[in-house]
Amino acid sequence: MNANLVVDAKGLSCPMPIVKAKKGMDTLESGQIMMLETTDKGSVNDFQGWVKQTGHELLNVQEDNGVFRFFVKKS
Amino acid sequence: MAVKELRAQELHDRINAGHSVFILDVRNPDDYNDWKIEGGKLQSVNIPYFDFLDDNEDLYQNLPKDTEIVVICAKGGSALMVGELLDERGFDVSYLVEGMLEWSQFYHPVTIAEETDMKLVQFNRLAKGCLSYMVISQGEALIVDPGRHVSEYLEYAKSENVTIKHILDSHLHADHISGGPELAAKTNATYYISSGEMQDSGMPFEPLERHEHIQFGTVDVKVMPISTPGHTPGSTSFLINERFLLSGDTIFVGGLGRPDLGGKAREWAQSLYDTVFSTLAGLGDDVLVLPTHFADIQEINANGYVGAQLGDIRRNNEIMRTTDREQFTEQVAGGVGATPPNYTDIVEINRGTLQVDLEKATELEIGPNRCAIKHS
Repeated sequence: MNANLVVDAKGLSCPMPIVKAKKGMDTLESGQIMMLETTDKGSVNDFQGWVKQTGHELLNVQEDNGVFRFFVKKS
Repeated sequence: MAVKELRAQELHDRINAGHSVFILDVRNPDDYNDWKIEGGKLQSVNIPYFDFLDDNEDLYQNLPKDTEIVVICAKGGSALMVGELLDERGFDVSYLVEGMLEWSQFYHPVTIAEETDMKLVQFNRLAKGCLSYMVISQGEALIVDPGRHVSEYLEYAKSENVTIKHILDSHLHADHISGGPELAAKTNATYYISSGEMQDSGMPFEPLERHEHIQFGTVDVKVMPISTPGHTPGSTSFLINERFLLSGDTIFVGGLGRPDLGGKAREWAQSLYDTVFSTLAGLGDDVLVLPTHFADIQEINANGYVGAQLGDIRRNNEIMRTTDREQFTEQVAGGVGATPPNYTDIVEINRGTLQVDLEKATELEIGPNRCAIKHS
């Protein structure tokens, strides 16, 4: 899946992954895709809650060796 | 102004003293609804921290200006962020430094009975709904169902100037990691658990079923294991001085233990029936039942501990009077909800067949207790 923007939040803990995701999202146009990478397991549920709250669309979640990758389409 | 730091002990002291405490929990709604801080005159609202990123001033409208707001999240970071936003807007604000992580590891000791030659203390791990006990007599102590934060017991024993001699697990716990083996190793005390619970375990333990009485101290403090299968095949209850029944996960203040965690719900429900209507039938209504768990903060009684007289439990729980075996089995085996999180891993750790580091242990234990069946 191709992303218009990759946000690296690896090694950061709560709330930074979502803070960075929000900042990244603000730079995108509607319909564009952001990929966020995080190693913070606790942010997985939060991320889903945030996407739901903001009305963006969560396209895909992948886990690879402790790194979570979220693909989100801007509303 | 600055955001004040608050620790679990202080927060609990305020709740326990009946002060009005206003909690702003900034975790996501799923986590909040699953597991939150409750009790006393506590008021709690949930606004996830990510909502605060949107510069939406409406969020602050309904928060109180005249009382301190305690901000809480999973580990502290997000609560501090939200705390600073509130502080900038002139709110009186503090945050729980390590969040629910810290709350999940907080223990509160309450004295249940204190007599010349015997003291019985309940350790309430509030966030988990886990209860453990220390019985003290003549300079020696016996501990039942200790949690893995063994320093809680070591420090208490030190402050009482007593030596820990016996450590008992009423059963192989599925919801939290036992502190029994570690505590035994640190104190040279004997660690007892039923052999039925420890199949394939390489861990050293003294089989509970070999003891009808465990006596300690120079006074006659009798500890009598009563085999009460039902919750797990080797569950044991302890009757102390014929007056206090440490019931493990068999009988709770609000009902019975769940029989389904071994995959043989109906079979175990049958032996739970025998436990209630045969083994425990001979005990008087005035015996004080002290379980290993509670399901609801309401179970903490006016004296500050979780416990109830057997007679009250019999009166208040229909299941305790359901003498029809079929009906009983149906109700018990059918009435169970979600299983405790990570229970298969936790059982293996407690059996000694799985080793984990501290971080993993903490992660496995996060979340509410789900060992009791809530009977309406």
